Formats: sequence, structure tokens, C-alpha cells
Amino acid sequence: MDMAITFGLILALFALLGSGIWIGLALLGVGWLGMEMFTTRAGGDAMAVTIWGASSSWTLTALPMFLWMGEILFRTRLSSDMFKGLAPWLEKLPGRLLHVNVIGCTIFAAVSGSSAATCATIGKITLPELKKRGYPEAITIGTLAGAGTLGLLIPPSIIMIVYGVAAEVSIAKLFIAGVFPGILLATLFMGWIVVWALLNPDAVPPATEQTSFGQKLYASRHLIPVVLLITLVLGSIYTGVATATEAAALGVVGSLVLAAAQGALSWNTFRESLFGATRLYCMIALILAGSAFLTLSMGYMGLPRHLAEWIASLGLGQFGLLFGLMIFFIILGCFLDGISMVVLTIAVIQPTIVAAGIDLIWFGVFLVVVVEMAQITPPVGFNLFVIQGMTGKQLPWIARTALPAFFLMVAAVGLLYAFPGIITWLPQRMVG
Amino acid sequence: MSIRRALDRLYGAAAWVAALFMIGTLAMILLSVTGRLLDFHVRGTDAYAGYCMAAAAFLALAHTLKRGEHIRVTLILDHTGPRTRHALELWSHAAGLLCAVLLAWFATRLAWQSFQFNDISQGTDATPLWIPQLGMAVGSMIFAIALADELLAVLRGQRPRHRAVDGEPVRSE
Repeated sequence: MDMAITFGLILALFALLGSGIWIGLALLGVGWLGMEMFTTRAGGDAMAVTIWGASSSWTLTALPMFLWMGEILFRTRLSSDMFKGLAPWLEKLPGRLLHVNVIGCTIFAAVSGSSAATCATIGKITLPELKKRGYPEAITIGTLAGAGTLGLLIPPSIIMIVYGVAAEVSIAKLFIAGVFPGILLATLFMGWIVVWALLNPDAVPPATEQTSFGQKLYASRHLIPVVLLITLVLGSIYTGVATATEAAALGVVGSLVLAAAQGALSWNTFRESLFGATRLYCMIALILAGSAFLTLSMGYMGLPRHLAEWIASLGLGQFGLLFGLMIFFIILGCFLDGISMVVLTIAVIQPTIVAAGIDLIWFGVFLVVVVEMAQITPPVGFNLFVIQGMTGKQLPWIARTALPAFFLMVAAVGLLYAFPGIITWLPQRMVG
Repeated sequence: MSIRRALDRLYGAAAWVAALFMIGTLAMILLSVTGRLLDFHVRGTDAYAGYCMAAAAFLALAHTLKRGEHIRVTLILDHTGPRTRHALELWSHAAGLLCAVLLAWFATRLAWQSFQFNDISQGTDATPLWIPQLGMAVGSMIFAIALADELLAVLRGQRPRHRAVDGEPVRSE
């Protein structure tokens, strides 16, 4: 098979996706066509067996559980509690309560696997509260859009489960590998707020109330539930007590208990969270099913291997390859959702990555950061959609407010490349 | 009962079963955790969790489609005139239906073959595989029906109903 067919197939796939066919079905259709046209194997039976295997795999069960946990927490008072607990501590920092966006998202990201859910849950409370206190909308919305993407990088993470299952990498290790890069990115975002506040001292409203240290400490009691939940989920993974799947199930139970303790658990909220999670999972499962078969089909055609050989022949080196990929992903991320991006990447370029001697855990985190950029680049960026739904602002305007976050993520990728230890140090010290 | 109501009930009922299987997935994982902590062992919980998850995904397909929550790239669709848009909607529904029929056909065939050759799971659960595969077969059949239903609506010139419910943020990623 030559490169013309390889690129022809990839182009055909993008044309089908662009024409509006549901992504999972388009992947499945291209996989079937490729198999029937370019291999001697019967496509249909291989399709059913592959899809069955992928959809019933035990490792994947972590995914619907984390989705459900997020859906439950979205319906609790967790975010307003976090606001109450965090706000008193942040009034002294340049930028004051704007930091609640970043720290709130960082903490919530540690119980939520999704960027849009993090953005929606934290924004639900910070957008009205900050507006009421007179913070400029542009910076409030921009920092929220950027910090919300931490939901992907800080474990648990839906996209990391997808990557881990597709690339056959330990999900627990991936999770733990995301911790320091997540903190790094949060620090960069906070730096952005500080710099902005120092440059625009008049734009930041004065602190609303003076509180003593004791009062601050007392307000922090509101953070106890979320901290307990983080300890339960991440602690059990890091210490090796539970696998990612088991931690996810414990997280669902923990969230239900928390919701019940807050009095937020009615039959209605339970049913809504359950159906919301089922639909979300179903949507992702269709993409995963299509991509599992496409991966198989492309493997039979030898497409990823050919592409790897071709790219190797270009002599790009690691830096050139990663830089090229980042540009490609940023463009792709303007049009595709993150999950589709990750599964397509694994289906097509995993051999290229392995051949270039790039660590798959490191690459997973790199990919997640690039997918985070995709969340805030128009026209398709899920955090932008969420914020548009909450504020009614125009998409291009929201994207412009979040532009500094985009450049900070590019800078973070540079730092992760220069200091790979930020990613690899912690997972190497894991128990088990 | 009209066909319309019967179909909507079908999608709704499948969604309820899917939701129950979500709870089933949770129950199976919790069973294996408590089993390890309290030192008793239930055979095959891992496999059962996977089966429940698969059934949940496939049985919810039609309902999720109706709610407009399956992801598609609408960028071009949203920026074309009404006639091109209609043509593109027809094409994407027809092509989508074709893929869904393909999936339904071979999923059913897989379950049928597992039944005929009495395929048993390789794991400790030793389940006859046609039983869990039935969920995939039935779910993808209902999905194909739902897509045909939508294609008909587009043909009749109705606005496809599978658009995201307004005001509900997409919390997908």
C-alpha cells in the first residue's frame, strides 16, 4: 500500500466527518470500507467481534462511573461550598476572587473527569458571584474557560481513560502522571491573573470583607467534603488500594453520600444524574466502538506502519515530530472533539510515536494538554459552548477572552518537553 | 396506539433498561471491591461489570440520538443555505443509517453465532456469550430503527429533532 492510498483514506475520513455523519458511525463505516476494499478479510464479522470486545472490557468500566460521579456532583451544592471555603483566603492576592476560578477548577478537577463539567460546575457559582462584586466579565470568563480545561489533565480524567484503553497504558499511572502538569498549568493561570491585576489595578474591585485568620479557617470547613472525596478517589489509586475502576465506583458512592448529606439527593436528581451519565457514556461508547474497529481495520491495511515509516524517513527528530503534531492537533482541535482526536491519533500514529522513542505515558499527558487547547479554540470548543450556554455571550468573544490561557498551555507543553520529569517522576514512585 | 407513540415508548423503555444496567455495572464493581475487603470471592464480577456496561451503552443509543447528544461535526451544516443543508442532512442521515444497519446486522449475527456454536466466555465467569451479546444486538437494532425514523422525518422536510436541548450545557468532555 502506498502513501497515496494512506492519505486518500485519511482525507475520505475527514470528508465524511465534515459532512455531518455521527462521528462514531463514520469511523465504523470507514473501517468497514477499508477492510472490504483493501484486505481479503470479511469486514463485518471482525467488526462485531472487535466492537463487542472493546465495549465490554473491564478497564473501560471506569469511564461510565466517573461520568456518573460528575453528573451527581454537578447537582450538589459542592461548588457553592467551595466558593465559601476558598474566597476568604484569596482576597489578599492580586486579582482576588478571580483566583477562585483557577483554584476551584483545580480542586473540582480532582473529582471530575471532564473539562466541560468542571467549567459548568465552577462557573455556575463564580460567574454570578464575581459579576455581583463587579469583576470585569472578560477576565472572569477567560480564566474560567482556561481553568475549566484542567478537568482533563488533573485525575480522574475521561480522556486519559480513553487514551489508556486505546494505547494499552496503565490508567492509574496516567492519572498520577497528570497531577504535576495540572498543578503547573494552574500556577501559570494564577500567574496570568496576578500579572493582569498588577497591570490593571483599577479594574479589580476591593475586597468585600475583612476576615480574621480564625474566621478564614472556620470558613474552610466547607472544603471538607470535597477533600474527603479527593482522598477517597485519588488516594485509593495512588496507594494501590484500588484500581481506577474501583476508585470510580467508590467515587459514585461517595458522591451519592455527599449529595444525601447535603439534602440534594431526591429521586429526581438521582434519575437525572443516572440518565445524564448513561447518555454521555453512550455517546462516547459509540465513538469508541467505531474507533476500535477503525484501528483494527487500519492495522490490517498496514496504514499506521506505513505512515510511521514515512514520517521516520523525514528525519524530523523528536522535537520536530512533536512540534508538527502539536500544530496538527491544534488545527484538528478547532473542528473535532477531544475524544475523537485521541482515538484517531492512537489508531493512526501510535507506531510513529513508539518508533520515535517517545514514552507513551509522557505522550498521553502531552496529548491531553493539546486537547485542552482544543476545548477553548473556536468554532468547536466545548468549554466555549458551556460558557455560551451560561452567559449568552458570542463564541468568538469568549474565545478571545480565553486566548492567554491558550498561549499558557503552549508554554506548558514547552516546559513539559524541557522537563519530562514533571510527568514521569510521580508515577515512578507509585505503589504497585 | 399510533406508530409514533410506540416508537417513542420503545426508545424510552430501552433507555430505562440501559440506566438499570448502569446501576448493574456499579453493583458489580462494588461487589468485587467488598468481596476483596471482606475476603469472599464472587466469580466473574469483572466480566459481569463489562457486560452490564456494554448493554447500557447499546440500549441507550436510540434515546441518546433522539436527545441530540451523539456528537457530529455540524460546522458545515450550520453554515450552508437551507437547500444545501437539506441535501447534507439527507446524505448524513442516509449514510448514518447504512452504518447503523451494518452494525445491527453483524451484532445480531455475532449473538446468533455465539448461540449456535455455544461460545463460552474465556474468563472465570464462563457465561454463554450470546446472553450479554443480546444487549448489543437489540440495542443496535433499535438504534437503526431510530435512525430510519429520523431519516423519514428529514425526507418529510421536518426539522431533525435530534438537536441538543437548548439551555442544557454540553458536559461531554
